[in-house]
Amino acid sequence: MLSMLGVMMAIIVVTGVTNALHPPSNAETIDPTTLHLGGEFAESNLGTAREPDGSVTVRMIAEQYSFVPECAQVPANTSVKFRLTSPDVIHGFLLPATNVNTMVVPGFVAEVRTSFDRPGVYAMPCNEFCSYGHHGMWARVRVVPKNQFPDLSADERTNCAKQ
Amino acid sequence: MSTNLDVPHTSAAAKPEHVAAPIDTQRAVELLKEGPIGALLLSGISVGLIFIGWLLFYFVLFIPRGSVG
Repeated sequence: MLSMLGVMMAIIVVTGVTNALHPPSNAETIDPTTLHLGGEFAESNLGTAREPDGSVTVRMIAEQYSFVPECAQVPANTSVKFRLTSPDVIHGFLLPATNVNTMVVPGFVAEVRTSFDRPGVYAMPCNEFCSYGHHGMWARVRVVPKNQFPDLSADERTNCAKQ
Repeated sequence: MSTNLDVPHTSAAAKPEHVAAPIDTQRAVELLKEGPIGALLLSGISVGLIFIGWLLFYFVLFIPRGSVG
């Protein structure tokens, strides 16, 4: 029994150290009361942006009770960086088929990197209770094949939210 | 079922042969000498299966999904 425990702990420590597995620990602060007025999380900057190195960055706001934009479009087999923040209470987000599972705390920016192997539509629930409408707070991530993802200029943002 | 305590009755577990197969003491000592091997085997197999399941989840599902930090 103890040896099994020892083996499991050793596996976790060794793979954690060699694969740099750790919870996202960057503590980046932001003013939650002025998100909508300008800066990185102003509405015109939300959605998917193309980075110079070919990766994409998705910026979203998690608020009671929706993600904005509620549908993010990303290319498959590409490094995707999600940056989220909240203007009100603590939310969470979880991306199926990835290891992304983190909290979105007002006053901080949550940043995670992942990639999607398979195209499809993934449901992204808020998995931190945020009051009455929490159970209905879902976003979607639409993963399209790399060649179907639009070529975005530096200022362009895209999303698949219903207009 | 009558609960009248004045009426004599016998319990269904009154005689040894009602509750256990007859066995003589020497045979019982022989069998009990080895301890609860069967129970240990069963619990060992269960724990082993769960351990294997943990390893599978960790190496086949979690590690391939990579670091997010």
